[in-house]
Amino acid sequence: MPHPVWKPLEASDRKRLEDTLSKIDEKAKTLVGYPCNQAFDYSELLPFLAYHMNNVGDPFAETNYGPNTHDFERDVIEVHAGLTRAPQDDYWGYVTNGGTEGNLYGLYLARELHPEGIVYYSEDTHYSVPKSLRVLRTRSIMIRSQENGEIDYEDLRETLKIHRDCPPIVFANAGTTMKGAVDDVKRIRQIISDLRIPSSYVHVDAALSGMILPFVDKPNNWNFEAGADSISTSGHKMIGSPLPCGMAIARKHNVDRIARSVEYVGVLDTTLTGSRNAFTPLVLWYAMKRLGLAGMKQTVQDCLSMADYAINELEKRGIPAWRNKNSITVVFPRPADEVIKKWQIAPYGDIGHLITMPHVEKRTVDQFILDYVSHPTNGQMRCSVAPPGSHAIITGAAVSGPETETGT
Amino acid sequence: MKEITVVVDNRSGMLADISATLAERGVNIETIDGEAAESRGIIRLTVDLYDEALSALRDSGFQAISEDALLIRLKDESGALAKVAARFKDANINIRSLRILRREGGYALVTLVTEDNEAARALVEDLLASGPA
Repeated sequence: MPHPVWKPLEASDRKRLEDTLSKIDEKAKTLVGYPCNQAFDYSELLPFLAYHMNNVGDPFAETNYGPNTHDFERDVIEVHAGLTRAPQDDYWGYVTNGGTEGNLYGLYLARELHPEGIVYYSEDTHYSVPKSLRVLRTRSIMIRSQENGEIDYEDLRETLKIHRDCPPIVFANAGTTMKGAVDDVKRIRQIISDLRIPSSYVHVDAALSGMILPFVDKPNNWNFEAGADSISTSGHKMIGSPLPCGMAIARKHNVDRIARSVEYVGVLDTTLTGSRNAFTPLVLWYAMKRLGLAGMKQTVQDCLSMADYAINELEKRGIPAWRNKNSITVVFPRPADEVIKKWQIAPYGDIGHLITMPHVEKRTVDQFILDYVSHPTNGQMRCSVAPPGSHAIITGAAVSGPETETGT
Repeated sequence: MKEITVVVDNRSGMLADISATLAERGVNIETIDGEAAESRGIIRLTVDLYDEALSALRDSGFQAISEDALLIRLKDESGALAKVAARFKDANINIRSLRILRREGGYALVTLVTEDNEAARALVEDLLASGPA
C-alpha cells in the first residue's frame, strides 16, 4: 500500500500515461530493426512489483538485505553457464542491467588482471565499447572488419605482433550489431598462441547470439570452450523482458583475484554496481522455466527460418539481402527514410537490417517489404550488399562482397 | 588556438550546415579550411567557444574530432594499422587509442590519440589527413 500522502493522479496525468501506453503498444508492432523480443507474458510476476527488492552484492554470497532474489539469480547464471560451456567448477556471474554492463564488467576484469594490457576490438563492435574504454582509461586499438562484419584476423595478427610485450585483451563479438557476425574465438586464441604471447584475455560480447548459438546444430567458436574468459549476453534481446537485463559470466579464479570486500552490506562485492535489480532475475528465471531448453531451441529455429523467409521474399523483389551463418540479422541496402522511421530500422551507411526476433511474424515481414519496395531510394540501386556469386547465407570468414561502410 | 576537425559527406551546402549549427549555439568561426576527396570532406575549424562547438557539432550528428586526436589516412588493408603502431613502438610513444572512423575508396580515416601528440604528429606527418595544422 502506498503512503497515505500519495494522492490520486490528476486526469491530465492519467491521460498522459494512457497515451504513452497506446504509443508504446503501436510502436511495438513495427519494431523489426532492434533485437528486442516483444513476445512474452510475465503477468504472474506482477505481485513482486509491490516491493522494493534489491540484489545488492554478490549473488553467490550472503547479504544483510532481505528482500532479494539471489537464489533465482544463481539459477539463471547456472543455466547460462551450461549454455556458454563455462567450466563447471570455475565460473561466476550475475544478472546485469544489460549487455553493456556485462561488457564493462568483462573489460574491467581484464584491465584489473592486466593493467598494462591493450584492448583490441573490431570496427563492427558496438558503439558503447569505446565509451567503456574511456571510463576504464584503457589503451585500445581498433581492428578492421571483414565485409561480413567479422574481425580481420590478419589485421589482428599483424597488430598484435607490434605489442607482444603488452597483454592483449581481445574484445570479440558473437553477433555484431549491424551484421550479426561472429568472431572466431578459437582462431583468436590460436593467433595469440602462434605469437607466443604469454598472458592474454578474451571477452565475448554475445548480446544477441549468446542465446542463439547454444541452440544451433553447428555453432561458431564463441564460448568458454573456444577460449573465452568472460561473456556478456543480453536478457531482453532473445529471451525477452519488459526491462533491460543481461548476464555476465566469467572464470571464477579470475574474479576471485579482484574481489573487494564491502563490509557494510556484509558481502564480498564483486559486481560493478551497488544496488541491483532483483526483478529481472525473476523474469529470466521465469522465461527459462516456461520455455525450457527445448522451447529455447524451437524459438531459435523459428527465428532462423523467418530470417530465410525474409531473405527469399526480399530477393524475389530484386532486393539483395543476406545473413551470416547462425544469425537472424538480415542485411539489405538502406531503405528510404520513411521506412526507417516506421519500422525502426537502425541504418549504418548504405545498409539497414531487420532482425527476425520471436515477435516478428510473416505478415510483419510481408508488410515491411511492401513498404520497402514502395519507397525506392538511390541507395537500393547503388549498394550491392549480397556477396556476388555466393549464397545469401555467409558461412565462412573469407568472404568478399558488399561494398558497404562498416563500423559502429 | 585549438582546432576542431570535422569529417563530412562531400556535398554542396555542408559548410553552410556547419556554420548554421555553430551560429545557433552562439559560436563564432575564426578560421575554416577544407579538403574534399571522393565522397567525403575534411573541415578544420578554429572557433571562439571550443567546447560548445564540439558539443553542437556532435549533437547535430557531425563526426567532430577534438584536437586531442590526430586524423590520419591509411591504405585500407590488413596490417596498415600495425605499421602505424610499429612507428610508435619504435619511438617509445604509447598509443592511447587507434580508431577507424571511415573506410572508402581504398583508404581508411583513423583517429589516433597518444601520450605525446606533438611527437606523434611528427611521426605521422606523412599520413595526416589534411596535412599539418
